[in-house]
Amino acid sequence: MIVAENVEKRFGDALVLKHVNLRVEPGEVVTILGASGSGKSTLIRCINGLEALSGGKITVDGHDVSTKAGLVAARRASATVFQLFNLYPHMTALRNITLAPIEVLKLPKAEAEARARALLEKVGLGAHADAYPQQLSGGQRQRVGICRALAMQPRYLLLDEVTSALDPEMTGDVLRILAELAADGTTMVFVTHEIEFARHISSRIVFLEQGELIVDLPTAQFFAEDGGLAVPRIRQFLSKMKKD
Amino acid sequence: MRYADFTPYDIVLLLQGLGVTLALFIGTTLIGLAIGLLLAVVHHYRIPGCRPVIVLVTEALKNSPVLVQLFLVFFGIPAFLHIRMTPVEAATLTISLNTAAFAFVVFRSGIESIDRDQIEAAKVFGLDRSQILRFVIAPQAAAFSVGPLVGILVNQLQVTSLISVIGVFDLTKIGNILNLRTLQPFIVWAVIGLIYYLAAKTLALAGSRVEAALRKSVKWGGI
Amino acid sequence: MRFWRVIEPHIGFLLQGFALTIAACLLAIVGAVLLGALTASMRSSGNRWVRGAANAYGDVFRNVPFLVQLFFFFYGLPELGIYIGAFETGVIAMSIAGGAFVSDVILSGIMTVDTGVIDAAKVSGLNRVKIFTRIVLPIALRVSVRPMGSVLINLVLTSSILSTITVNELTGAAKIVAATTFKPFEVYAVLLVLYASLTTLLSFAISATHRRLNRFMMGG
Ligand SMILES: Nc1ncnc2c1ncn2[C@@H]1O[C@H](COP(=O)(O)OP(=O)(O)OP(=O)(O)O)[C@@H](O)[C@H]1O
Ligand SMILES: [Mg+2]
Repeated sequence: MIVAENVEKRFGDALVLKHVNLRVEPGEVVTILGASGSGKSTLIRCINGLEALSGGKITVDGHDVSTKAGLVAARRASATVFQLFNLYPHMTALRNITLAPIEVLKLPKAEAEARARALLEKVGLGAHADAYPQQLSGGQRQRVGICRALAMQPRYLLLDEVTSALDPEMTGDVLRILAELAADGTTMVFVTHEIEFARHISSRIVFLEQGELIVDLPTAQFFAEDGGLAVPRIRQFLSKMKKD
Repeated sequence: MRYADFTPYDIVLLLQGLGVTLALFIGTTLIGLAIGLLLAVVHHYRIPGCRPVIVLVTEALKNSPVLVQLFLVFFGIPAFLHIRMTPVEAATLTISLNTAAFAFVVFRSGIESIDRDQIEAAKVFGLDRSQILRFVIAPQAAAFSVGPLVGILVNQLQVTSLISVIGVFDLTKIGNILNLRTLQPFIVWAVIGLIYYLAAKTLALAGSRVEAALRKSVKWGGI
Repeated sequence: MRFWRVIEPHIGFLLQGFALTIAACLLAIVGAVLLGALTASMRSSGNRWVRGAANAYGDVFRNVPFLVQLFFFFYGLPELGIYIGAFETGVIAMSIAGGAFVSDVILSGIMTVDTGVIDAAKVSGLNRVKIFTRIVLPIALRVSVRPMGSVLINLVLTSSILSTITVNELTGAAKIVAATTFKPFEVYAVLLVLYASLTTLLSFAISATHRRLNRFMMGG
């Protein structure tokens, strides 16, 4: 379980996250919605320890990410997929995926590679194991990014706008894979602007407004007239999204 | 007391060595910059047959050890041409040419970097070829070139230490003498190194001052 | 022709010197890269003392003539009771001097590494050392092939200075040949052309390596 309690994050004078409380139970798919600059990425980066908290506490399966040992354990439990893929440019797709399993999980090389090839096969990239990131399209790179995360067999998958750098066709490929993962019961914390997709796969939706988590509802209720849509700010946000 | 300890007179020796090093450095710098500039201008005007020769010679100078160049000039040329050459003459000739080779590259790219438009503009104002060079190309090339030139000169200052090998009594040679006499290599070479270090730092500082001033004046009086 | 006639009887001896030059340069570039990588990592450290020490090393060894550094080690090490050969001393001095330049090269290479890539490595659980050695350094080295090549070429040119401490590498061997044949002009002219060809060849090889290693790299 991921638990965020009273999380606060400052960049200099700017208070970017204000007393955020969030719980993600195993098996859930939680989508974080919010306008640009509302702090979605920052929240993800606090959960995986890329940003230090200014206040409050985050635990992943009970491991406090603000302690050294806790962060190591928390990072074992979760994996992150990035908006701009962030693949290692000097390694093939296969090496990108096997690096951490070999170095961190101490998996034998052959086993790590077998696992990586199986993952690549699953996302339709079986033939591209030896390609370098630069030789792949954006959608292919992001699928490698997903494989890299999955190869760690994480209990939680953190995804920050993983399709927003992709064109619509490639977006479809990636979303299909994520839908399959959700159906398999993978726990996900998901930042996206794909409202329809979020509605389709999420069990819960939370809404960030200027660093405050103002709404946290099961998906059906979030889109209900007497639920999330009753909040003017959310109604406004959703109608703006539809227009775009 | 082991062998011969340091004496106050050693300070004088060091200063003499530093004087020789600096004199040779300044002399070869002036000659080298002049030759380098001349080569760049000749190269710029495409005087027939000159380009490949200039490029070949400067490349050879940049891509071979200065020590070998010194040996060629000091031992080779006198034997070949049956003339006499003192260590100072050989050192001056070699280091000057070496500096010229590096300066040539900087001046050449300085000249190339100047916007064609400005030459056009000068033509419109009715300046002739040499006026264009004097008033348009030269000041700007100078401003662009100072940074890289300072880098080269800091390097050439260190290169002058090699002339001690052919017997010039520069700072390094004084180091050799003191080293042999006192048998205190750590102190001797640390002091010699410190003097070179301070000289290099002073040169770099002066260079960045000149660069800042030149850039300002070019901007200010820009044509 | 006259140059060949002078050189020919001594070609074996000169080749031995050449082999020594190559050996010194190869050992020194390995030493310089190791030292340079260590220094670069120290220079990007959070501790200001570590950073200061690394910066001071780079500053000193780039602003003192190599000949002076070489004499410092050659005459100084025996004072400390360290007796090693002239060749070894030369390699050590070249490694230390080269390391100062390599650390600059690597540091600017490190600056080019995308922080997102480092983030990815961090969250995957790799520790600091692994991130540096498996991700940051290899990427930095790839974009540094050209400037690193210049350092190597400078080491080749610098290696001639080892002749001043009795190492009979190429220049040292040539000195002996010049003295025995009484034909210094021919010997040193050939030597100069040899060095120039060697370094020119090297720079072609460096360009080719750069292209090959960065074939698949972004922005390379
Ligand atoms: N490293 C940083 N230093 C200073 N300010 C930052 C930093 N990272 C983020 N911010 C600020 O924090 C706020 C929240 O940023 P964040 O990236 O979390 O927003 P977001 O909700 O992910 O937006 P988007 O939808 O555009 O990705 C913004 O105002 C941003 O400018
Ligand atoms: Mg974001």
